[in-house]
Amino acid sequence: MRPTERALTWHLLIEPDGRPGAENMAVDEALLDESDRTGGAFLRLYRFSPPCLSLGRNEPARARYDRAAITRLGITVVRRPTGGRAVWHEHEVTYAVAAPLAALGEGSVRDSSVAIHRRLAAALRSLGVAATLAPRARAPGLGAGACFAALVGGEVVVDGQKVIGSAQVRLGGGRAFLQHGSILLGGSQDLLTAVSRETAVSRQPQAASGTTLSAALERPVTFHEVVDAIIAAWDAPLTSTALYRPLPSSTAQFSDPAWTWRR
Amino acid sequence: MSKIPADLLYTEKHEYVRKTDDKSLVVVGITDYAQGELGDVVYVELPKVGTSFGRMDAFGTIEAVKAVSELFAPLAGTVTEVNTTLDSDPALVNREPYGDGWMIKLRIKNPADFDQLLDAEKYKQLVGE
Repeated sequence: MRPTERALTWHLLIEPDGRPGAENMAVDEALLDESDRTGGAFLRLYRFSPPCLSLGRNEPARARYDRAAITRLGITVVRRPTGGRAVWHEHEVTYAVAAPLAALGEGSVRDSSVAIHRRLAAALRSLGVAATLAPRARAPGLGAGACFAALVGGEVVVDGQKVIGSAQVRLGGGRAFLQHGSILLGGSQDLLTAVSRETAVSRQPQAASGTTLSAALERPVTFHEVVDAIIAAWDAPLTSTALYRPLPSSTAQFSDPAWTWRR
Repeated sequence: MSKIPADLLYTEKHEYVRKTDDKSLVVVGITDYAQGELGDVVYVELPKVGTSFGRMDAFGTIEAVKAVSELFAPLAGTVTEVNTTLDSDPALVNREPYGDGWMIKLRIKNPADFDQLLDAEKYKQLVGE
């Protein structure tokens, strides 16, 4: 471990009550901005309320998802500032890490991503889940379907099935990064299939759509027990910090359909 | 070890600049080292022709392995052409970063900006090769 990792105190934000998707994305991006400006490091553990479909920053959503069906079903949608593909956020612990590039490894995307995934996998193992990191493999393209239907090397898996889906962004001054992701507690990602424009033939097999902690442990798993396990496994000093108030001004941008459906 | 052609200029953020026969027109892309660090590129978001940028303004974004990073204009100028082939084949950035994986052509505003760029030797030192 590098000296900078030991010296860094992480600000911890826990939000069990949940926020709408646009607020969550705006808060995560604001934490990235703050990290970039101040050198602070943030770990945020939160939820979506109401449940929300999130799209990757560059995902071709207009071609892939049926916007009319999504509207008809009353599903809220947000486009993330980070890469990757669609996620249905319902029964999960969502995490966000905003930190200086040197906080985790040498600063590359791969280093920081694997460092975070190692901590999260350790947290899941402390709950009795046989979580490991997937071996390195060629990354799937943006056309590879929903997030949990495609596996990238270094992601957290249980019996070869993805249990945490993550994505990252580096903007602004380029001194910090934001990685956020979904740790599936239960439920399924089937809603994404229901609103997909893809034909049944081209859909990913069900077995490739990820797994959940409840399925792995064969019992209900709560938000708070996962949060406690992550804090215990974080391997760095954590200090609780106030929740983000007032809302960042970028909430409006993340609420704007022109951003959500830009591709 | 990554390729660092001697006839190009570089930024500390891993863009390269290729001069052309037209002294005020340059070709911009990202280096072989950068594409290797990023991993498999899945999307490149480039500006519209006619857009102007200041030196080291973000001119676009690149997504690889679910991570989005910004691209920076090595010199102030106006975009005269973008590589639209990257829409359908973004992995060209991985395969041929200095060739068909180029990103934009810039009509530069201030020739003195060239002095701010790194030559191949300095860029090699920067990336530790």
